[in-house]
Amino acid sequence: MSVVALLVEAGLDPRAELGALLEQSAGAGALVSFVGIARPAGRAGEPVTELVLDHHPTLTRQSLEAIAVAAAERFAVSHVRVVHRCGRIAAGAPILFAGASSAHRRAAFDCADFLMDRLKTEAILWKREVGDQGSAWIEPSDADHADNTRWG
Amino acid sequence: MMSAPITIRFYGRLAEAIAPAIAVDGECSVAQLRERLARDHPHVAATLASRYSRACVGDRLVRDDFVVRAGAEIEFLPPVSGG
Repeated sequence: MSVVALLVEAGLDPRAELGALLEQSAGAGALVSFVGIARPAGRAGEPVTELVLDHHPTLTRQSLEAIAVAAAERFAVSHVRVVHRCGRIAAGAPILFAGASSAHRRAAFDCADFLMDRLKTEAILWKREVGDQGSAWIEPSDADHADNTRWG
Repeated sequence: MMSAPITIRFYGRLAEAIAPAIAVDGECSVAQLRERLARDHPHVAATLASRYSRACVGDRLVRDDFVVRAGAEIEFLPPVSGG
């Protein structure tokens, strides 16, 4: 069992993260991964040039670690890997990698789903979309909170 | 003798709307601080009152009845948005 939870200020490469998780997962039967990408448009369709993710000097890393550990304890998985960006992220660039490996596929799918619901609503980060018209803070939607409550 | 002020640090939209940090006088509960800040900064009153806005002292979440002592430091975290 291994749990990796990282906050990075630059250079998140989903291919490298997938490779690292695959390498750790020798003996597993399944690997599920999710990559979040900065959208080039806001909810109303307005162009977004970049996302800015503010973080807390200590609590952000702690929150990522707590979410990854909770996922590893909850599901029959062998490895969990979460790598989250902070700082300025250009539209189209990856924001995060979340993945899990397990003996059988269902646990890895459920684990990745749980990771994303928790990361959306509990990871201590503050997201702002920046475009030609200025910037707007983004908060989880009611649907995001409802998704998170599925897990208790 | 005047007591030392409370330092309040803000993040996200609260830091943008108020300041990264301010100092206020007097010892009070987190709930009283929320009300006082909402009065002084009505444009973020809804964020300050949100159940998803949390207060932290020493990297630990504290409830609204927690009393912030003179000279202490508290952080207000607006609703988070990762992923």
